[in-house]
Amino acid sequence: MKKRSLAVSVVMGLMALGLVACGGSKSSSSESTASGSGEQGASSDELSVAIWDTNQEPGLKEILDDFTKETGIKTKISVVKWNEYWTMLEAGAQGGSLPDVFWMHSNESERYMSNDMLLDLTDKIKASDKIKVENYPGDIWGLYTYNDHYYAVPKDVDTIAIWYNKKLFDEAGVPYPTSDWTWDDLTETARKLTKSDGSQYGLAVKMDNNQAGYYNLIYDKGGYVISDDKKKSGWDDPKTIEGMNILDTWIKEGLMPSAETMSENGEEVLFQSGKVAMVPQGSWMIASYKANEYTAQNADIVELPKDAKTGKRVSLYNGLGWAAAKNGKHTEEAWKLIEYLGSEPAQKKQAELGVTMSAYKGTSDAWVKSANFNLQAYLNMMDDMVIRPYSRSTVSWENADNEIITKVYTGELTMEEACKQMAEQMNEKLAEEQK
Amino acid sequence: MAEEKKKGFSFTSREKNEFIWGWLFILPTIIGLVVLNIIPIINTIYQSFFKTGDFGRGNIFVGLQNYQKVFADKEIWQALLNTVRYAIVEVPFSIAISLVLAVLLNKKIKGRSVYRTIIFLPMVAAPAAIAMVWRWLYNSDFGLLNHIFHSKINWVSSPSIAVYSIAVIGIWSILGYNMVLFLAGLQEIPGDYYEAAEIDGATGISSFFNITLPLLSPTIFFVLVTRVIASLQVFDLIYMVIDNTNPALGKTQSLVYLFYRYSFVNKNIGYGSTIVVVLLLLTLLVTVLQMIGQKKWVYYN
Repeated sequence: MKKRSLAVSVVMGLMALGLVACGGSKSSSSESTASGSGEQGASSDELSVAIWDTNQEPGLKEILDDFTKETGIKTKISVVKWNEYWTMLEAGAQGGSLPDVFWMHSNESERYMSNDMLLDLTDKIKASDKIKVENYPGDIWGLYTYNDHYYAVPKDVDTIAIWYNKKLFDEAGVPYPTSDWTWDDLTETARKLTKSDGSQYGLAVKMDNNQAGYYNLIYDKGGYVISDDKKKSGWDDPKTIEGMNILDTWIKEGLMPSAETMSENGEEVLFQSGKVAMVPQGSWMIASYKANEYTAQNADIVELPKDAKTGKRVSLYNGLGWAAAKNGKHTEEAWKLIEYLGSEPAQKKQAELGVTMSAYKGTSDAWVKSANFNLQAYLNMMDDMVIRPYSRSTVSWENADNEIITKVYTGELTMEEACKQMAEQMNEKLAEEQK
Repeated sequence: MAEEKKKGFSFTSREKNEFIWGWLFILPTIIGLVVLNIIPIINTIYQSFFKTGDFGRGNIFVGLQNYQKVFADKEIWQALLNTVRYAIVEVPFSIAISLVLAVLLNKKIKGRSVYRTIIFLPMVAAPAAIAMVWRWLYNSDFGLLNHIFHSKINWVSSPSIAVYSIAVIGIWSILGYNMVLFLAGLQEIPGDYYEAAEIDGATGISSFFNITLPLLSPTIFFVLVTRVIASLQVFDLIYMVIDNTNPALGKTQSLVYLFYRYSFVNKNIGYGSTIVVVLLLLTLLVTVLQMIGQKKWVYYN
């Protein structure tokens, strides 16, 4: 009797402790061998490659196969969803088991570079005849440069444009948007396409859609999100608030689905099911819209609107980089792969396959032909670009921003209050970075 | 041997043998516990006194600062409240329902093992898969629930009900497991008690309350305590069902969810560790209270 209750308490004590010990073992990943060898589990002569976008996997696999054919080096690609990707990378970095080659993003690059986690590519790039710095956009190099050393080779660039549903426009008798439209035109169009019974909305900009969504409004109005020296937030700048007020109009007038609906379904799903007529999206979404039967038939792309007052039409832009682990076992092979992925033929193939726009200059023509949409709109957006705002702790302040702005969507805060709060929390975190 | 005896060891060769084999048998478990539980626990407690640097480097000792911040943080208190709300719904309902099911399925009825299997099935499915299915059932625009009831309820995105919707998933997925434990307990109760009660004229219901419940109380107690601990640690359902832009997130996120967010998303491992140490203390406190309380209602014989 005593014994039994003792056993019970031991078991329960262990359960309680088990929690503290629990690490981050949740990662939904799908792995597949690209080399066709059929082996599961990374054998020592395979290069492990990690990415987060399922849509790009098939195209990249083809390119990796080409690499294997050319060099005999086998690769193994694994796709881990965005959230888990960074958990995995963090754990890998700390435990000394990063993948051999992986994607880097501006949100995180500085932390990895400054902590010496990435392979320094500077000398290798200098010695390479395939990678010439001038062939890629300088801003993208900038994201992956620390103390004048290069830590990744640009993979792609992305810009923003508006996707619209031709079918819904036809039904409402509204003419398709053209490249010379303004934000006021967009608001007006959205009003016409919104049905009062809630079965259809003019547009959708999700609460966390900053890069493809409301950041563009801010820069069109001449506002900013982060100062050039990364010390000050621009959220409380009057021009920033002016830009955000356009979003506020859409929220207030009910031109967008509710925050609840968007958080449950996402812009992509809502657009692909014909619930919203317009949605601003980055060029990285093409593969998904191409694969979807409904959007392949009914959707098309137009440039972002201009601002009537300032005449500006800014697109936020960003680009991923291919990076390698500093303490990897196969750094020589890893560099060979990165060099190959950054080389003109591979970058061209990436564009042709429609994986994404490539970073390599002069490959965009191939990309425009990769899908049956007006992809030229994305290229036209390159005339006036601003790099996606980032600092050392981007993730931290961006997540807090998203939380605050969600409260504007649900009506708990006014846009101006939210902007003030976002500025405040962001300034706090930026000050912390300087320490 | 002879030498040992001289030194005063009183082991016989048999005792020595048993000693070695005994330790050998539990060694794998001990190694597992130390490597997977004990060391990480100590590490976590250690980290909770630090402002951790990137990738575990450059930690700065800050004493109790993290704890002060945790106790002053409204978000933490809200998360605690959410966690308690979840537990208050999940634990009693999952126990009551599975107890009834166990009693019913302990009788000799046709297809008993089929029913048992069906009810146990959710336990076999991966939590992620369960969450995905329920997420679609609950979806306010395309979900089956709203479609059947012709309603427009935001099951998982309305701050006032989302936590309960999640608790329902929790109940559904744990029923089978609880039921199996109860079945095992029920089968330990000798049949003569019921026969005697029947002769004395007891109805099925009164023998349930006067025989089954008291004799099953050790099992109920075990299930209760383990469920309370598990429900205080709820994470995966919330993580899978509630998107991080969900307006209901603030009113549903549990302490472990916050721990995840601080440690793995915001990379503030020191603060995340502090949250989880606080949860550990809380769990221990609740469990100790339950151990004391059991004397009032648990009969071991």
